Amino acid sequence: METVRRRSDTPFFLVTGGISACFILLIVLLVLADIWFITWQDLVEAFQKKEIQAALRLTLLSCTLAAILSVWVGTPLGYLLARYRFPGRWLVDTLVDIPIVLPPLVLGISLLILFHTPLAGTTLEEWLTGLNLPVTYHWPAVVLAQFTVACAFAVRTMRVTFEQMDPRAEAVARTLGCTRGGAFMEIALPQAWRGIVAAFTIAWARALGEFGPIMIFAGTTRMRTEVLSSSVFLEMSVGNLDSAVAVSLLMVAMAAVVLVVLRAVGTGINA
Amino acid sequence: MLLSHQTTSKAILSGSIMLAIAMIAMLSRGNRPQPPAKTPSVQPAPQPPLLVYCAASNRAVMEAIVSDYARQYGREVQLQYGPSQTLLSSMSISGNGDLFLPADESFITLARDQELIAEVIPVAQMHAVIAVAQGNPKGIRSLEDLVNPGVRLIQARPDAAAIGQLTQQVLSQQGKWSQLEQATLAFRPSITDVAGDVVVGAADATILYDAVLHTFPKLEAVEIAELAEANSNVAIAVVSASKQPRAALHFARYVAARDRGLKRYEEFGFKPAVGDPWSDYPELTIFAAARLRPAIDQSLIEFEQREGVKITRVYHDCGSLVAQMKAGQHPDVYFADDKECMENLPELFPNPVEISQNELVILVQQGNPYGIKTLLDLSQPGIRVGVGHPKQCEMGWLTQNTLRAGGVEREVMANLTVQSPSGEMLVNKMLAGSLDSAVVYASQAARADGKLDTIRITGMPWWLARQTVAVAADSRHRQLANRLLERLDSADSKQAFLVEGFRWSAPTGAR
Repeated sequence: METVRRRSDTPFFLVTGGISACFILLIVLLVLADIWFITWQDLVEAFQKKEIQAALRLTLLSCTLAAILSVWVGTPLGYLLARYRFPGRWLVDTLVDIPIVLPPLVLGISLLILFHTPLAGTTLEEWLTGLNLPVTYHWPAVVLAQFTVACAFAVRTMRVTFEQMDPRAEAVARTLGCTRGGAFMEIALPQAWRGIVAAFTIAWARALGEFGPIMIFAGTTRMRTEVLSSSVFLEMSVGNLDSAVAVSLLMVAMAAVVLVVLRAVGTGINA
Repeated sequence: MLLSHQTTSKAILSGSIMLAIAMIAMLSRGNRPQPPAKTPSVQPAPQPPLLVYCAASNRAVMEAIVSDYARQYGREVQLQYGPSQTLLSSMSISGNGDLFLPADESFITLARDQELIAEVIPVAQMHAVIAVAQGNPKGIRSLEDLVNPGVRLIQARPDAAAIGQLTQQVLSQQGKWSQLEQATLAFRPSITDVAGDVVVGAADATILYDAVLHTFPKLEAVEIAELAEANSNVAIAVVSASKQPRAALHFARYVAARDRGLKRYEEFGFKPAVGDPWSDYPELTIFAAARLRPAIDQSLIEFEQREGVKITRVYHDCGSLVAQMKAGQHPDVYFADDKECMENLPELFPNPVEISQNELVILVQQGNPYGIKTLLDLSQPGIRVGVGHPKQCEMGWLTQNTLRAGGVEREVMANLTVQSPSGEMLVNKMLAGSLDSAVVYASQAARADGKLDTIRITGMPWWLARQTVAVAADSRHRQLANRLLERLDSADSKQAFLVEGFRWSAPTGAR
């Protein structure tokens, strides 16, 4: 009896594993190089600075808020883009991507111009300041700069999530008397839970790395609008490479912890 | 199942809303401006915090100064850092901020061209040097060593960083730039980038400011003759749009005070500028010709209010003021009615600036009943003529010289009715009708505008009085006095001089 000779899978795993390992190795080496560059004392000194502590707090809070807002906006927008064909859909689709392709500094300048361009004798900033809600150079500017970019990623993620979900369940619910809103709230949204967690994660991570728009729109005022990415810049600017690397490592650790926790939460709920 | 889904949706919504509210609450609570530190003797200032656009290279020294200032005055100063060009753009678009402290003077020029800043106060000087790793492992001692193929040279971009621009400018003049440019491995956008490259070992040498080395202890400087003249100035400027210029100037003066901020600059490796001594409420003294009072008084009042200083004015005639100064009473600023007065004291006022001119005119009754057109016409029989006394006032002396130069002195003096110690008295006599004509300054004639007619002196040379102003060489507050000079040389000041009948002749015009 002639047997089919199975060819070995080893080359496949060697090639794919090798390529993957190169990238993983690069990231690991980057982190190791940072760790190698500084001493434990540098780390302790950096984290004892009250400016860094304030930046850490602002970063955590602003990234979380920006990510929540991104999910709030990204979920309905992603749903509309995935489920419906409406006039101007291509335009909306293109506009959503603009914050992703725009150079960060341009985004910052654009936000600054938006809030300070006179219209009907006042500016958006003046109007908001009149309501005791100053934005430019205050924490809302940090959140807005982070949100503008992070939301674009959230929309993309939610759109893919809804596109991958079978619309039949929503259609059945509608035949049973459910409204479109009801179908969205009671069928689509609970099913999209994993996507929501993914969108939140991506938005949060993107907000963490945001720097250019924040520097221009929110400034880098210590203890007020300084986030960790600004801290790296500020420490670098005065030659405190050790501190800059320490803060960078903190960002890496923070990002890793948040991503792991969020993924665990997402998987657990869907398990 | 449906119930479970409804619960999930509600959980997502309510959970995210509660989380968002919590984030906003914590952000609002934690990022309010910190209350300023209080000192027992000083009341906390009610003003909002000052916002300073500060170049990242000045961060360390400015944080020390802000801390000193807060301790002494309890006022919060917020430092917003960034590359100078970025700060300039932010300032331009937002229209916010109180002070601008860029990496070097070139950005001050840019900001001034865009009318973004008002007063500028020099702070320090930086010098270009070669920077190498501690111990100078490549043994770089000269420009020739720098272009050696074995040396990895990184430079800041001339189009993006001030140090790059300065290096290019200085070495181009010596014909050595292209050689260095070719030997440069890479150009980087900022001074901190190139310094960082040498620190981490990505480059062997770079060119940067000596003051920057203070914050990079792993680097050392190598001075070379080719860069001996490569210096840049650091200055702090008040933002034109500042809503609290007085507070901004108070802090700027503190930064630029030789016994306050400049001491810190010296500690941080800068070569400090020659600053004024610190005074919370400084006082200037100005000696000025009495005739100039209407033209300058408003400027002085506005300067006092904007700067938060007191100006003691001494108005008098040229002779009295010069006598007082020769007797040892030295003002900070002297504004002379004529350059002749200023030239009496060349050592005390070495750099006078001409601000305006005052020409002699013929004053006649309204409608010019005698048809006077020239000085010679004053010799017509029966005309009552008044002139200034040549020894009692400068205007009289100028009138005498003008009549002599025109060859009409004898003819005009034949009709002389009165010689007055001041032009103002002649104008009053004209208004009272006791004179038909008088020779006075245009500025004096302007006070009777609409009641008397003025005839410009034509057909013969006439002498102008040139009003000059100068800061005393021994003034304790030279920087402050120089800013007063700038105020007197401004567009608003020009307007006041023109209204008073002077001709504006300041070289810089409306600054």
